[in-house]
Order: sequence, then structure tokens, then C-alpha cells
Amino acid sequence: MKRDFFVKRTFLAAFAVLTLLSGAGTARGTIDDALSFALEAAQPAVKEGFTVREEYWGGDLPAGQPKPIAHQLFKGNEYWFWMGTDCKGAKISVHVYDSAGKLAEDEFWQKGQKAAARIRPKRTGTYYLLVEVEKSPDERTVWSLAYGFR
Amino acid sequence: MNERTLCALASALTLATATGHAATPAKSISVSQFPKEAKLVEQVIVPVPSEVFAVLDKLGKPNWPEVLRSQKNLATPTGGKEQISLMLGVVIAEGFVAVEAENGDEVKNIGNSVRSLSKAIGVEKAVSRRANSIVEFADKRRWAEVRKELDLALTDVRQAMMELNSESLAQLVSLGGWLRGTEALASVVAKNFSRDGAELLHQPVLAEHFRVRLELLSGNSGKDDLLTKILGGLQTIRPLMGTEDGSGITEKEVREIGKTCGELVSAVNAKAK
Repeated sequence: MKRDFFVKRTFLAAFAVLTLLSGAGTARGTIDDALSFALEAAQPAVKEGFTVREEYWGGDLPAGQPKPIAHQLFKGNEYWFWMGTDCKGAKISVHVYDSAGKLAEDEFWQKGQKAAARIRPKRTGTYYLLVEVEKSPDERTVWSLAYGFR
Repeated sequence: MNERTLCALASALTLATATGHAATPAKSISVSQFPKEAKLVEQVIVPVPSEVFAVLDKLGKPNWPEVLRSQKNLATPTGGKEQISLMLGVVIAEGFVAVEAENGDEVKNIGNSVRSLSKAIGVEKAVSRRANSIVEFADKRRWAEVRKELDLALTDVRQAMMELNSESLAQLVSLGGWLRGTEALASVVAKNFSRDGAELLHQPVLAEHFRVRLELLSGNSGKDDLLTKILGGLQTIRPLMGTEDGSGITEKEVREIGKTCGELVSAVNAKAK
């Protein structure tokens, strides 16, 4: 299986896109679970008043090839980014860099099939989210990313 | 972004992060090593309006009724699908201003306009529930819920368009919302200028993202006066939003950004010839 795509969808549409791309059955479990892990990671922050955006981003990646996603962040807000994968044994990460490429996050963690990073931007502007499958038993690993702000 | 660009980009990043693998992230990545064509404009997360308004809430209490552009009647669809998509984005953004102004009648009017414009481009079903909720919550003056429903209306309408293979129209909805949102933001900042406020307008990646998307759309759909005008406007405001950071955006530049966006919003709302 070789796919390289970047989807930005609500949950149901993400499911539809993946179904089309990879055939029904396997895709459902994959995106469903990746999203579940990301949203599970979000729960503590939701309790602290973060609003989770109801759109999700995702795709699949080979291990060791980080993917940058540009994002406009606003000083004054606080953000959490949550990443999940359905692949047991995979190690994933998400980190936040500023427009000059400097690590900008205030906190990050990795736990099993979940990873997250928190940032309170010092400036308004462009930031880069770097999502990565650091290691995986699979050739390509499906991931999903959600974020919240307050 | 084509496959070659992505490969080059991934290689650059792999090199740049090679020393910082495992649990400890690299202290820096080499953005300059991104291939020139890899502007990342296709892989940009466009914030929902609530993110901007969340910051504005913390900055003080602007005079929102003054910023609100009152709609006496329902928005009437005019022009082709491109123009109506832009109008829809503008109307939804106006909804956020109406919420800030706590103007229930205006919010209800906007909810009905969203329904009318959505119908004209075949996505009414997707947003009908949201439009109803907007009107219902506005009646009860539950502003936080109205704001959430407006965010979701924007998401739903874009999603419905993508399902109809109209991703470019979905982009136009976002663009319309961004233009009116930026105009409103500039207006608020200009009325009580502060560096922190002006910095909120430092959004070069979004201006560039929309410019590239619009260029692609213009190329595909032939000459369209409205799209050409917006393209020109984006090129005007892009340098005013600051290059390195937003700390140097002046009051004059804020006014210029607001004026240009205002002209583009007027063009979007103008009756098609």
C-alpha cells in the first residue's frame, strides 16, 4: 500500500475519502482509530476549557519522514495539537516550530499511539507543525491530527 | 504541491531533524531548506473565525455595533457560483460580528441569509440544521452557542462543497469569510490602535494561501473580473501584513488593510452585471 495524501475533513468525510482511496473495510478501522486516539488525547484539555475544532487532518507517512503543516496561530490564544495512530507499536510525534524554524512549543508528550504538543504563541504569525512517524512496524502509518484552543 | 516538491521537502526536514530524533525534538528546523516552490500553501490550516474572536475577547471590549454592517434584508444570491460562495463566507463572518454586537435580530437575519445563499449553490441541506440553530440560539441570546454554530456552518458548507467536488468553491467560502473578518479586525484595531492588536493582522501565510488558490481557480475558470480584483487586493495587502513578524505593522497599514478588504467585500456583495 502506498499512499501519500493529506486530508482535511470532518470525521465523516475523512472516512469517505479514505474509503474511496483504499477500499472499504480496512480504511474505516484505520481512520476511525487514528482519530479516536487523537481525540482521546484531547480529553484532559477539553475539561480545562479548550475548544476542539471539528475538523481533522491526516494521511499516512513512512517512518522517519516528517511532514510540515503551516498554521496561522494567534498570540493571546493557547493551543493543543493532538496526534493519533491506529498502528500498534508505532511511535509518533507532533512538534511546533515558529516561522524561523525554532522549536516553539511549551510542552509535548508521547504515549503509545498518541502524541501532543501545547503552545502559547509568543507572536502572531506562521508556525509549522511537524508531524512524524518516528518508528513503525508498517511501511506506511496512518495518522490523524486534531487541535483545540482557548 | 507536487510529488517532487514533497520529496525534496521531506528530505530537507529529515536532514534538519536528524540530530533531534526520538523523545527530544530538534531545537530548530531549517525552514530555509524548504524548496522555494514548497511554500506550503496547499497544506495550510486556515483558522476558524472563533480563534481570532477568542483573542479579541481578551484584548478589551470593542464597539462591535459600530463594526457591524447591518443587513436590512436577506442576502440575495447574485452572479455565478463563485460569487455566491464568496458571499456566503462574507455573511457567515458578519454573523460573528453580530454575535459580538449581541444583535439578535441581525444574527437571525444572517442565519436565514446563510440558508438562502446555500440553497443557490446546492448545499442547503448540509447547513439547514446549523442555520436553524443559529436562529434558535440567537432568540435565546445564547451567544457562545451561536458562535459555535457559525464555525460549524462554515465547516459544513465547505465540507458539502468538497463532497460535490467543488473544493475551489469551498476555498472561496473561506476566502469570503477571511476578507470580511480581516476588514472587521482592522476596523477594531484601527479604532483603538495597539501593537498587540495590529499584530493580529500578521497573517501572510493566509494571504499567500488564498492568492495561490485564487490564481489556480482563475486559471481554470477563465477571466473573471471579481476574482481578478480580489487577486489584486491580496497582492496589495500581503506586504502590509509584515514580513518577518507583525510587530512593525503601523496604524496606517492597518487602515490600508481594512480599506482594501472593505473594497473587496463590497465587490463580492455587488449585484452581478
